[in-house]
Amino acid sequence: MSKQINVALIGNPNTGKTSVFNELTGLKQKVGNYPGITVEKKEGICKLPRGVKAHILDLPGTYSLNTTSLDESVVVELLLNRNNKDFPDVAVVISDVENLKRNLLLFTQIKDLRIPTLLVINMADRMSRKGISMDIPLLEEKLDTKIALVSTRKGTGVEKIKELIADYKNLSSKPNIDTSIIAPDYFERLKKAFPNEDLYKLWLVITQDVNFMPIEKNMLKGFSSFDIKSKSELKKLQHKETVVRYQFINNILKEAYKVDLSAAKGFRAKLDKILTHKVFGYLIFFFILLTIFQAIYDWSSYPTDFIDNLMASAIEWIKNGLPAGVLTNLITEGILAGISGILVFVPQIAFLFLFISLLEETGYMSRVVFLMDRLMRPFGLSGKSVVPLISGTACAIPAVMATRTIENWKERLITILVTPFTTCSARLPVYLIIISLVIPEGRFLGLSYQALTLMLLYLIGFGAAIVSAMILNKILKIKSRSFFVMEMPTYKLPLLKNVVYTVLEKTKSFVYGAGKIILAISIILWFLGSNGISSNFKNAERIVKERIASKGLSDYNKRNIEESLNAYSVALNDSVLQKKYTIGIEAIKDSLEVRKLDLTNKAESQEVAGYKLEHSYIGYAGKAIEPIVRPLGYDWKIGIALITSFAAREVFVGTLATIYSVGSDEQETITSRMAAEVDPTGQRPLFNLASGISLLLFYAFAMQCMSTLAIVKRETNSWKWPIMQLVFMSAFAYIVALIAYQILK
Amino acid sequence: MDIFQNIVVYLILAAAIAYLVKTYFLPKKLFSSKKGKDSACGNDNCGCH
Repeated sequence: MSKQINVALIGNPNTGKTSVFNELTGLKQKVGNYPGITVEKKEGICKLPRGVKAHILDLPGTYSLNTTSLDESVVVELLLNRNNKDFPDVAVVISDVENLKRNLLLFTQIKDLRIPTLLVINMADRMSRKGISMDIPLLEEKLDTKIALVSTRKGTGVEKIKELIADYKNLSSKPNIDTSIIAPDYFERLKKAFPNEDLYKLWLVITQDVNFMPIEKNMLKGFSSFDIKSKSELKKLQHKETVVRYQFINNILKEAYKVDLSAAKGFRAKLDKILTHKVFGYLIFFFILLTIFQAIYDWSSYPTDFIDNLMASAIEWIKNGLPAGVLTNLITEGILAGISGILVFVPQIAFLFLFISLLEETGYMSRVVFLMDRLMRPFGLSGKSVVPLISGTACAIPAVMATRTIENWKERLITILVTPFTTCSARLPVYLIIISLVIPEGRFLGLSYQALTLMLLYLIGFGAAIVSAMILNKILKIKSRSFFVMEMPTYKLPLLKNVVYTVLEKTKSFVYGAGKIILAISIILWFLGSNGISSNFKNAERIVKERIASKGLSDYNKRNIEESLNAYSVALNDSVLQKKYTIGIEAIKDSLEVRKLDLTNKAESQEVAGYKLEHSYIGYAGKAIEPIVRPLGYDWKIGIALITSFAAREVFVGTLATIYSVGSDEQETITSRMAAEVDPTGQRPLFNLASGISLLLFYAFAMQCMSTLAIVKRETNSWKWPIMQLVFMSAFAYIVALIAYQILK
Repeated sequence: MDIFQNIVVYLILAAAIAYLVKTYFLPKKLFSSKKGKDSACGNDNCGCH
């Protein structure tokens, strides 16, 4: 049986640990050109030479073992606890070739824990451009380790890492530095109190908020042979330790690491000056946002229309091909209608993630964080809250987890509570379909009104987050704020592989993740909409036909038929005048009669379907909640969609697509189905400007996501905060939507 | 044929309800696989979105 060893990948943030992890394990965890992507350890298996199997752990980035935040303490807790099942047989320190000095601080600390440690110097492809040269054998000798020079971008050096890991028994586990020189007397007393323990490990336990078996921090207090120093004294000693380490590192690098400064001067500084400028920086960011939203509308309209029409044709084809019956109805009116509600948004989602990925890969996202830090300080949030807020544009769940980098609990809590206001990708389908129904297609300075509305909604979400943060900041009163130090990554040309992977992966998870829920909900909704127990439901056809015979069709249908006939008549007369056809007046009359009959039959079956739906199970449920949503301008069907979309926001469109297709013989696109809906007065479309804006604002503020609530509960370790979040956000969304509708109606 | 279609419809309906109950109402621990597999929500492939 082959032996399995534990390997921990450790390093400073943004050195490419996850890229190395992906290369070693063949997995595809998220990578990006900004710090703080990994906040939890991730695991994978790698086959090494000589039949050795490695269990690889990708740990969150940390600058040193003197940790300050939750994600960093994951590393220290693992390295201090030999009883941990994941305790590494070998530590692989990943460093970045341009910041080797700073990276070696962490390396020497890990080495001093007597763990076999090897050094991976990543981003080797940048060496020549940056004028860097290294004497690897000399570095290996001085640091008492083995080194792999790697470029994960070019895919070079990975085999060398595998060889070195497989050969881990030959790695030295001797410490680099004798830490006791920073306070010899103190360390002497420590040694006497715990003769069997490693001194550096003891030192870390004293200075960190972690415990490790067999020594817990509290146990140290029981020993009178040495005094626990005050916090400030310990901090001074920590600084001294850092100075000693840098002296050691400087001496080595002086001989083994050279930078030709004339070659190193790039355009990065110049570009940073513009992109982080206090005026131009924001203008550029604003322009980039506009471009993204414009592109989402302009570029994706063709593939979106194509998918929408394709799905409508596919449904019709399947309906005609399968034998008539309930199963066919379930497939066409329930499952496929619901699924098409998500598939039509694939192009927009793909474009959104394409842009996010490009911004991350180039290193621009870090500049945005820097800009936002400046903007958010007056509202009581530090730049550390910006990363979660910005990553919330994809999904609130990883964004809430990203708050682990914030040391101050209250600041972290505020960030967790306000992050769901940021417009996540799940809101995009709702926004897109409502905007296309209620906002006209005109342009202003070349930008479409629809794209501008979409951008406005993103800004409203971000604005709501920072205003709520300001209010919470006043209520919760944060005394000490986290300091925000962020490393600006170098600018890089986006790696096509990473961009394509991100777009595919995110789109796939959008379709599959939401698709499964939508599929299940569509099936249940179809069943509830196609069945009923009341006599009204069972006799729907007779009741509606009797009503039509006595009172005629609904006002909306009458008007619709009249308008359609007028348009048809004009088109027909034009054709005759232009001599496209040569037909007599009688024939025109006949043609109009046939057309009228066709439209009337269609309207009749629509009214029967509508009546049946109203008296189905779902109709009764919807009618029960209608009084609550009516003041917002919604009918009972939207009310049902609001409830089902509590599972995930994108379910909204799928739900409406299913409800509107139940009992319908016409196979239309989702947009046309929604556009054809009339409000309960029968006087105007259901999705009009007032109800549309009300709905957009409701989704901008409401906490419509069960998964986010679950993750907030996990991160705050209490139901109190997610419940408060749910109540506040829902109430706020309701009030804003109500005001908007009442003003605009 | 109608009976067959009805049976299939009810089976699909039961599966849909079971899936939603499993996803939202039953503790995740009941379905998590063996140790070592990180199925925490929020991973890129967590499947919550």
